[in-house]
Amino acid sequence: MSITLGQYLMLSGVLFAVGLCGALTRRNAIIVLMGIEIMFNAGILNLVAFWHFKHFTTITPLMFAIFAIAVAAAESAVGLALVIAIYRQYKSVDVQEMRALKG
Amino acid sequence: MNELVQHQWLIPFLPLVAAGIQSLLPQRSRKLSATLCIGAMTISCVLAIRAFVAVLGAEEGARAIANFTWFEFGTAKLSLGFILDPLTAAMAAMVTFVGLMIFINATGYMAEDENFTRFFCFLSLFAAAMLGLVVANNLLMLFMCWELVGLCSYLLIGFWYFKPSAAAAMKKAFITTRIGDVGFFIGILLLYWHTGTLNLYDGGHGALEQAGTLATLAGWWGLSVASTIALMLFFGAMGKSAQFPLHVWLPDAMEGPTPVSALIHAATMVAAGVFMVGRMYPLFTASSPEFSSDFVMHFVMWVGCITAVFAATIAVAQFDIKRVLAYSTCSQLGYMMMGLGAGGFVGGQFHLLTHAFFKSLLFLGSGCVIIGTHHEQDMRKMGGLRKYMPITFVTYLIGTLALAGVWPFAGFFSKDLILLNTFHVSKWAWGLGTFAAFLTAFYMTRQIFMVFFGEWRGGAGEHHGHEEHEHGHGHHEPHEIPWNMWAPVAVLSLFALGLGWWEHGYHHFVAPGEAAAETGKGVVMGLSVVAGLLGIVLGWWIYGRESWAHAADPDPLVGMIGGLFTFLNRKWYIDEIYEVTIIYVTDVLGRFFGLVDKLVVDGILHTIVRVAWWISQIVRWVGDEFIINGGFDTGCSSVRGWGRIFSKLQNGRVQTYFRVLGLGVAILFIIYYLK
Amino acid sequence: MNAAFWILAVITLMGALLAISLRNLVHCVLSLILFFLGVAGNYFLLRADFLGAVQILIYIGAVAVLILFAIMLTRNVTGTEGPRDMFGLGWWAGLITAALVAVAVWITLRSAPEAGVTSAGQAVGSVEAIGRELLTQWVVPLEVLGVLLTAALIGAVVIALEEVRRRR
Repeated sequence: MSITLGQYLMLSGVLFAVGLCGALTRRNAIIVLMGIEIMFNAGILNLVAFWHFKHFTTITPLMFAIFAIAVAAAESAVGLALVIAIYRQYKSVDVQEMRALKG
Repeated sequence: MNELVQHQWLIPFLPLVAAGIQSLLPQRSRKLSATLCIGAMTISCVLAIRAFVAVLGAEEGARAIANFTWFEFGTAKLSLGFILDPLTAAMAAMVTFVGLMIFINATGYMAEDENFTRFFCFLSLFAAAMLGLVVANNLLMLFMCWELVGLCSYLLIGFWYFKPSAAAAMKKAFITTRIGDVGFFIGILLLYWHTGTLNLYDGGHGALEQAGTLATLAGWWGLSVASTIALMLFFGAMGKSAQFPLHVWLPDAMEGPTPVSALIHAATMVAAGVFMVGRMYPLFTASSPEFSSDFVMHFVMWVGCITAVFAATIAVAQFDIKRVLAYSTCSQLGYMMMGLGAGGFVGGQFHLLTHAFFKSLLFLGSGCVIIGTHHEQDMRKMGGLRKYMPITFVTYLIGTLALAGVWPFAGFFSKDLILLNTFHVSKWAWGLGTFAAFLTAFYMTRQIFMVFFGEWRGGAGEHHGHEEHEHGHGHHEPHEIPWNMWAPVAVLSLFALGLGWWEHGYHHFVAPGEAAAETGKGVVMGLSVVAGLLGIVLGWWIYGRESWAHAADPDPLVGMIGGLFTFLNRKWYIDEIYEVTIIYVTDVLGRFFGLVDKLVVDGILHTIVRVAWWISQIVRWVGDEFIINGGFDTGCSSVRGWGRIFSKLQNGRVQTYFRVLGLGVAILFIIYYLK
Repeated sequence: MNAAFWILAVITLMGALLAISLRNLVHCVLSLILFFLGVAGNYFLLRADFLGAVQILIYIGAVAVLILFAIMLTRNVTGTEGPRDMFGLGWWAGLITAALVAVAVWITLRSAPEAGVTSAGQAVGSVEAIGRELLTQWVVPLEVLGVLLTAALIGAVVIALEEVRRRR
């Protein structure tokens, strides 16, 4: 029995939910960012799975994946820089304490 | 012409480039900024006029389009495009030309402002967006530019953002027009849903070319699909063109610098609604044996008619020189809508053109007056300016006569065309329109006499009511303005004088098929001339016979109509009515959302306490403040309460936002799959 | 093939779960690296070799190291987290939301018509092909991406340097 698309979709779906859970429940900003990275990876995995099973003869989906990875890397760099800046300001990386934008 | 349309994109592109460069310029490079702005606009103007001449020379009703694909997803593709047809050509020529004149005038008006470059950057951006709107052959592109001009309007109304009134006015303008835009957007979605394209013309496949088919399908509320879409689009036009009941933002928008009022809130942006209705006219008029287009057309006509009369009555009782003009603009836009709704495409669009010239003339004139009198806007503190500012006086008089519809000035022709069209559809609307013409003549005469005749009432020692920049001029005598301010005004006044004679040419130009109504022309024209003259004579009778001695004296009109004057001066209390109705409802909604938020955020236990507290709050609020204090006070406090509650939604924790977002996504999915 | 998938899936899932649930931050990052490795393995399995290599280079080589640096700059090196943040109201809210999203995804996938597709055509994802495509058809997006990365780099430096500049 060979692998089906459904298995990959399931895997990436579960990974996405795990990442979301991390981003939603943890109070440490770095772990929140890690959760977001996991979600990103789940999305890209999904994309690659679709490429493999549906559009194997064209290269465009792979290009999308590469660009998505690059953009995600830029995002994480900026995000971590923000975390460091916030730590300098508040001496903490607890997202529950970052509420300067409270209305 | 087919070749020219390929270059249409240059017309909005050049001001856009200018805006981009100016945004990078330092504050002190004022000359360069103004040069860029005016230079780009000049080239655009030349291009637009070249296109205009080409269309003029082409055969009647010619239309050239240039579509290109923006992006594809799957098999669906989204294309944008440019169009060159009589409507666009005339509008683009007008916008570039009037815009150019206003830019030149603005170099004088803004000469002493430290944020000169920022001002010209915004102006360029506005010009780019407005021209993009005009040359668009695609509803999506039109909508994007539509929102961009709204943004520029927001930025420019609040140009002096440190004034609280300007900051409030910018928000009011943005939000009020946004309300109409919801309808516009729904209309766009409906159109895409039913036709699969947003291109207006596309060699037989365009959305407008399918209007006939759409008219046979059943839409909402017993209307055809075409009528439904038209109605939705019209809501957008009502917001942008300040039609009743969404007119409230336009008078407040006068907080912006006067060239902005002239360009955006008189000549171009507010007319965009009228232009859009004209652009989508096939949808408005599309009817079939099953469904007629009467409802939509009558709706447009009556909204326009009501706005025309309503705004004109308010203009009678204003003292701020710019507010009179603002309400007058509202009223004239109502005229255009009325004309369009009555089936007079030519009348509505021609009035748009003539109005753009004479109203921007009047606004620039008022800007000259404001500069000449050292930032005085209250007409009660002016007077006698005829002696001090002769050039301004003459040009202003020309604008006034054009607006009042006196033969042979431009307004006479276009206004008569509208009234004639309305006459054939509804005698009532026509009567009200003629009444509005009378009021127009009256309040403009009032303004002329208050500002330019009599004795100078400002004088030294008088307290200056407006907190605009005080320049510390030692003397308070009014003075004539520099040439770069009056020259554009003079050029515009030439058009206000002569443009009316182009009526027949314009008719054949934009709508060779539309039959010019002839019957009843004598009656309509006669009565409107009589109404105009009556207004002028009455204005002279009340304000001109004996001059107003002191700024503190009450308006002579108060003695005649008494409390009605206050009623009109307070703009029919529309703002106050909104405060106690719509804002009250939003307030309650806000409390409701606040409750929902508590449920999600603080958990159920916490909420039970909160619910009890809110109930007691609401009871207290309704019982104490609403019933006892009642009326307008409540309106004000409800605004504050609304803000307080919405601000509670923003608890500043990004994770909470994220959770609510996730919850929303999950609920949407589950609803979708349970269905 | 199927066995490889299940092994990789378990590794990936374990990595992800541990990354978001451990208390020691450094351990979290190590688990995250495991997760990244698992995803890279999946890419190899899907014959996206280049992507797998990119995954290892960028995510493990750069992102994970970056996160480690962030931890070192914000905490003591052992990286123990403070008080437990489990079982609070917010924690439950987050967990329930995540579970709801998982249910939504599951419902979607269950009804997806093409879940059973197994076909795999001819491989095109060779490094050579990708390189050629990137520098021909995709050259403009590639350049834009370069600009974006430069901007992000400068932005990150500016944000992180803020304090130093203020002190000066």
